[in-house]
Amino acid sequence: MTITLSGIAKTFGDFTAVHPLDLTVPEGSFFALLGASGCGKTTTLRMIAGLEEPTSGSILLGEDDITRLPPHKRPVNTVFQNYALFPHLDVTENIAFGLRRRGVKSVSKQVAEMLDLVQLGDMARRKPRQLSGGQQQRVALARALINRPQVLLLDEPLGALDLKLRRQMQLELKRIQTEVGITFVHVTHDQEEAMTMADSVAVMYGGRVEQLGPPAELYENPRSTFVANFLGTSNLIEAEVLSPGTAGPEQLRVQVVGADATLRLPAARCAVDGVGAGTKVLVGVRPEKISLAHTDDADSVPRGVPEDHNRLTGRITDASYLGVSWQYVVESPAGTQLTVYEQNVSRDSRLTPGAHVVLHWQPAHTFALDAAQDAAAGEEAV
Amino acid sequence: MSTTVHASARSGSGARGPASPVRWLRRNAVVLVGCAALAYLLVPNLVVLLFSFNKPAGRFNYAWRTFSTDAWTDPCGVADMCGSLGLSLQIAVLATLIATAFGTFAAFALARYRFRGKSTTNALIFLPMAMPEVVMGASLGTLFLNTRVQFGFVTILIAHVMFCLSFVVVAVKARVMSMDPRLEEAARDLYAGPFQTFWRVTLPLAAPGIAAGAMLSFALSFDDFIITQFNAGPSTVTFPMFVWGAAQRGVPVQVNVIGSAMFVLALAIVLGGQLAANRRKKS
Repeated sequence: MTITLSGIAKTFGDFTAVHPLDLTVPEGSFFALLGASGCGKTTTLRMIAGLEEPTSGSILLGEDDITRLPPHKRPVNTVFQNYALFPHLDVTENIAFGLRRRGVKSVSKQVAEMLDLVQLGDMARRKPRQLSGGQQQRVALARALINRPQVLLLDEPLGALDLKLRRQMQLELKRIQTEVGITFVHVTHDQEEAMTMADSVAVMYGGRVEQLGPPAELYENPRSTFVANFLGTSNLIEAEVLSPGTAGPEQLRVQVVGADATLRLPAARCAVDGVGAGTKVLVGVRPEKISLAHTDDADSVPRGVPEDHNRLTGRITDASYLGVSWQYVVESPAGTQLTVYEQNVSRDSRLTPGAHVVLHWQPAHTFALDAAQDAAAGEEAV
Repeated sequence: MSTTVHASARSGSGARGPASPVRWLRRNAVVLVGCAALAYLLVPNLVVLLFSFNKPAGRFNYAWRTFSTDAWTDPCGVADMCGSLGLSLQIAVLATLIATAFGTFAAFALARYRFRGKSTTNALIFLPMAMPEVVMGASLGTLFLNTRVQFGFVTILIAHVMFCLSFVVVAVKARVMSMDPRLEEAARDLYAGPFQTFWRVTLPLAAPGIAAGAMLSFALSFDDFIITQFNAGPSTVTFPMFVWGAAQRGVPVQVNVIGSAMFVLALAIVLGGQLAANRRKKS
């Protein structure tokens, strides 16, 4: 069922947890609310569950207004952070809880089906404290899913699991979602988790949605510095727009502040409205899009820099081996330390700290953001 | 870390050498002290039990004479004793029920809600526990006297509910504070209305605290002498009052029988509870 939040907001005393927010979660989708702690994502989820009453705005489930409905009357179930399993009931009774409350008499068949779905058949009579974290997580999931809710809400469901189990459960959750076809709304602070599982992601920051879209769209074309830094790593370079149109109608040319270099980017990938000559922007490029060439052969063929690439000069200050790739930190007159990931294929052995290099990348991989924002927003939050 | 390794290595080599009593003592000191402490607690009870099988020569059951089960076969053989026992049990059960109900409500209010005068209430609840019983008993008695309330069953009951209440509040509040509020949210999320949430989740989770409060109440009420003495009427003699009165003229063996029976019963309840918990854990 489609969820429509319109103008939904929540304040606690003087503190605004969620600013008026409009959001539509399409039916059957896996939707992630992503953000650092305190960004309002959990509050938003709790408002959908009915555990928090919105200060203003309305929540529609399909066509029905559920804004004022108490939680036990909403066809919505939640998988809580740390699971909140009932310690005095065994696995079977935990899972059957929702059915029993709605007066279903024979629950054993459905409980058995659910235990199968989450692969916990032989744990039926155990108490929650006798289960491992991953098993408790599955019980929490089964307890919610057995009610066949219109929408399943997941509040950091994998937060308490270790890395390996988390990966496994990510795939598991995705499998179950495809199998049952229910709309999932997933709250997480882990950008990788959101990217692997969700069809669309809403990045939240300070009680507002910064950007909404499919994971690839958010990663390739961030519209704010927070999104650029929170999802992966971005190199942000201060620049000024040169008179538009000089590079054709589809392209923008910018002058890097503090360096003698101009860069080009597709006009459509500029997140600033109404750019003109002299507009200050932050030019961004992802570290894995950048290639390095040693200065000595920057202009030679075939190792050199293709004619149409953006290029910047710099000096390597740090090189670290990450297994699948090398990570370089390059100091550039453009003012920032630039990060570059080079695939660990055929590495130029001269690329060591101190070496002078040319960084180059395709203009199509370049984006531009409004320079009025904090360029470091979202960096430390990861 | 390294000292631990050394110590265990040394004791390991010592175990192979000849057994030394000093070493044995050192290794079992904690157990010995524990047993001594238990004995200190239990010996008086055992003496009571032993003397319940005595056949004393005079009216005082203080010197051992000969083994007899007379008192056990005729526990109510002493005039008025079983009546006072019944009265004590009645008061203890009623006081426990009332104090547990009100104390549980109060504990939830204090643990879950914010309201004006909360900290004052918190302090006042503790007062009956801290106040000397003589003072409380006497002042309550004065109050009843001045408001011309007839002394008797009701005044004793009111007095007992008063001092039991604080113990229930303390026990239940500690439990409620440690309960995860998300469990109730989970229940509400899973289609349980307010009443069902309370009945199916809140109450079962708080039950150990409530049970502890109730057991304390029962024991305190059954046992109380000082406050009861100030607030009893001429015809309401509770068991502790009977024992005190009897002690002036000579203690019948039946008092030991009742005392021993109570002790054995309490022991059985505790052991039974322990066994049930163990079995539940195993299954």
